[in-house]
Amino acid sequence: MNMTAERQMELTLPMVPDIEIAAARAAGNLAREMGMSSDSIDEMAHAIIEACINAREHSGSADRRIYVRFVGTSPGNGTPRIDVWITDHGKGFSVNDARSRRSQLGAVHKRGWGLSIIEAHMDEVEISTNEDGTTIHMVKYEKQS
Amino acid sequence: MTDELRVSVERRDNGAILYTKGYINNVGGEEIANRAYELMEEDVRTLLLNLRETKIVNSIGISILIEIIEKMMEKGGRIAFCCLTPVIHKTFQIMGLANYATIFDSEETALQELALQ
Repeated sequence: MNMTAERQMELTLPMVPDIEIAAARAAGNLAREMGMSSDSIDEMAHAIIEACINAREHSGSADRRIYVRFVGTSPGNGTPRIDVWITDHGKGFSVNDARSRRSQLGAVHKRGWGLSIIEAHMDEVEISTNEDGTTIHMVKYEKQS
Repeated sequence: MTDELRVSVERRDNGAILYTKGYINNVGGEEIANRAYELMEEDVRTLLLNLRETKIVNSIGISILIEIIEKMMEKGGRIAFCCLTPVIHKTFQIMGLANYATIFDSEETALQELALQ
């Protein structure tokens, strides 16, 4: 299968409230150009929102920036694929600890659902994290009709 | 940049409907909570949240919705939702909110099932 990159976009966003909406809208515009369905775009947008919020709220980065990259590719059969990288230069985190914070009704701590939402809405998720920062690489495929 | 949340309230004889418009984030969630708690103080025990004009939510906003559900359950009341987009419905299920609040496809069905007049 010949997979050619057709659209690319890179953004550097300040860590300010609601900046996640800018990232989600940019990805949505690219995905729409690639022919992705609105349901798939909505799922991807919600995953991007959670990834950006995690970076903003928990990374502790000194530069207070979120680095976002989107690549849209198409195998030529009308089923586009969008790759998303959300990067921060923060202190990193333990993926296992973050997962263990998933909460339930009645729990004092109700946060910690970001990763669950990201994994449920995207088709592939890969997290690279260390003391120099974190990158979440996520992939969304259009479902073949 | 964002769709700041707006909330409107429609009182019924035995409950209320909250209509949301915009992004349910931390600020939006708090706005909904403030309106919901005001209604609870007025002895409203059946509350329907109609999200037909909300297309984006985040986990912080939903965590606040869960707090509202808990408070209403403590008071012996109930909260339901209607008119969710597919992705918001899925996100509610991921976070377990759907286990504690009924979700209806339409407002008409919700009003019938909740007996909201």
